[in-house]
Amino acid sequence: MSITEQLADVPWGLVWPLIAIQLVLMTAALIDLNRKRSTNGPVILWVFIIIFINTIGPVLYFTVGRRHS
Amino acid sequence: MNAVLEVSALTKQYDGFRAVDGLTFSLAEQTATALIGPNGSGKTTTLSMLAGLLRQSSGTIRFSGSGKDPRSAIGFLPQYPKFFPWMTAIEYMELAAGLSGLGGREVRTACEKTLGFVGLGEAGKKRIGGFSGGMKQRLGLAQAIIHRPALLLLDEPVSALDPAGRREVMEMLKELGESSTILYSTHILNDAEEMTDQLLFLRNGKLIEQGPLREVREKYGDSGYRVLFRDPEAAERFAGAAPWAGSADGSAVMISGEEVSMQELLRYASEHPEGITDIGRSSVRLEEIFMKVVEKP
Amino acid sequence: MKQFGLFLGKEWREQARSFKLVWVPLVFIFFGALEPLTYHFLPQILESVGNMPEGSEFTLPEMTGADVYASLTGQYQTVGLLVLVLAFMGSLSGERKSGTGTLLYVRPISYAAYYMSKWTAAVLLAAASLWLGYGMAATYIVQLYDDMPGFSDLILFLLVMAVWIIFVVTLTLTASAALPTGGAAGAALGILFIGMMIDGLVGTYWTWSPWKLQSYGLAYLMGGPDTGDLAGALAVTSVLIAVLVMCGILMARRNAAKARV
Repeated sequence: MSITEQLADVPWGLVWPLIAIQLVLMTAALIDLNRKRSTNGPVILWVFIIIFINTIGPVLYFTVGRRHS
Repeated sequence: MNAVLEVSALTKQYDGFRAVDGLTFSLAEQTATALIGPNGSGKTTTLSMLAGLLRQSSGTIRFSGSGKDPRSAIGFLPQYPKFFPWMTAIEYMELAAGLSGLGGREVRTACEKTLGFVGLGEAGKKRIGGFSGGMKQRLGLAQAIIHRPALLLLDEPVSALDPAGRREVMEMLKELGESSTILYSTHILNDAEEMTDQLLFLRNGKLIEQGPLREVREKYGDSGYRVLFRDPEAAERFAGAAPWAGSADGSAVMISGEEVSMQELLRYASEHPEGITDIGRSSVRLEEIFMKVVEKP
Repeated sequence: MKQFGLFLGKEWREQARSFKLVWVPLVFIFFGALEPLTYHFLPQILESVGNMPEGSEFTLPEMTGADVYASLTGQYQTVGLLVLVLAFMGSLSGERKSGTGTLLYVRPISYAAYYMSKWTAAVLLAAASLWLGYGMAATYIVQLYDDMPGFSDLILFLLVMAVWIIFVVTLTLTASAALPTGGAAGAALGILFIGMMIDGLVGTYWTWSPWKLQSYGLAYLMGGPDTGDLAGALAVTSVLIAVLVMCGILMARRNAAKARV
């Protein structure tokens, strides 16, 4: 099976909500990070965590990444 | 004059040390009292107890007149006031006003007016997260006065400000002093000098000196007269004279305000009509008094 | 009452502006969608991964809608609880530590209004998130699985789970009232997971406990729980919630002195 066939097999109607949720979480986390810029640990590290770790990344940022000034 | 606040033997004991040790003083209505002392002398702890944040270990705090919660008659400004960064200034003021019992339609207007008074009229709709230190200090003052408290407790209200901001805030405080009783701690003694009816000196949690500014000044400052003689030798011979540091040839001396030397000075002046070229009242600066009081054994 | 309204408005705005109103529901919704999908496509996923030994025929048990709900509930009992505890662990302790609470505590506030406003905001958000998650799962189950639990059973299940989640949130808030943020998270998670372990060991004998609520709730989807035990567990949980709320209010008042000045 080629990649394109495999992709066509994916039930996109069922999967796209998951992708949308991830994008919303990521966007919200990045907006918040941009607004505060004070994190536990380096800001750039959190940018990577938010973007590259699916779902868990933004949640980690919201729970333990932000620092109260 | 009525006392707004009477404090007696106020003590805060922590494990192993006394942060505040037996303070007794009272604040008369519409007076300004400066709480002065080196770092760690117990100023903030004292203010926290008066504000109802900390419970004293012993001693009493009595507010006059209010049978209800005394906290509604107090405005408190911590040294570094902290706000919710996601709130706007006007939202914060409305919350503060509401929690202090203000209600009704006039709240919004009162909040806007108070923000205007502290110079934040333009910033009301901005989020506090973007405020500078000076703006936060002003907002801190605004939230402390929004409910027109009878007693204002201010912890280092001007220390974090630049000289211009300091001057402005001091002017505000003077204006507030016309209707409120103010107790404030400060390091900036030049400013304190301008707005002080009473001084409280703290050291190691103890009140080591207190009284009206004038009395303290007389006690510690050899307040007297700076006299400039035409003849340096005459200056040297003069009884009760001390050389004045600012004089190059020794012709200027300090004469204490005591009666004996004053009489002598007057006699010299009448005998030598042109012997004295200048007389000035010299008053010691609060900073000098502070050093003397703090170093007192 | 007026103070409660003021505080609730503040909590609401805080949840909205810190994006809590967005990310907490989304995490639950995400798992609500992922769980039914994963089980339905598990055979294909295993096949495409291709690590199956030659000739081995995995006959995966046929999942029903109720099975998926049970499995999703298992997710919520671990990841979901973790998320809720982490989301609310700093509710009170954070305001003490940062010093933002100081300017509230010097005013003539009612600590009951203070605590209850946080409680109300947190409970509403947590329960809504949980329900949205199960709701999302329902939309997938309807499409992918043959049998869907009855609507009224589902509602009863959601109500029982809501009581459990209220217990979780109350425990977290009271821990936050009593302890610094880190300690609060540790205490809340510790109590929740140790309770689950105890329930796993001696749960047969300990039928009236908050930790039983999820299995009683799930039982509605699979034929109905022992209503006597359910009532007992609900009663015990309600009493515990009430006690925790009162402790929380007392601790919030007592710890106001620890707020940074």
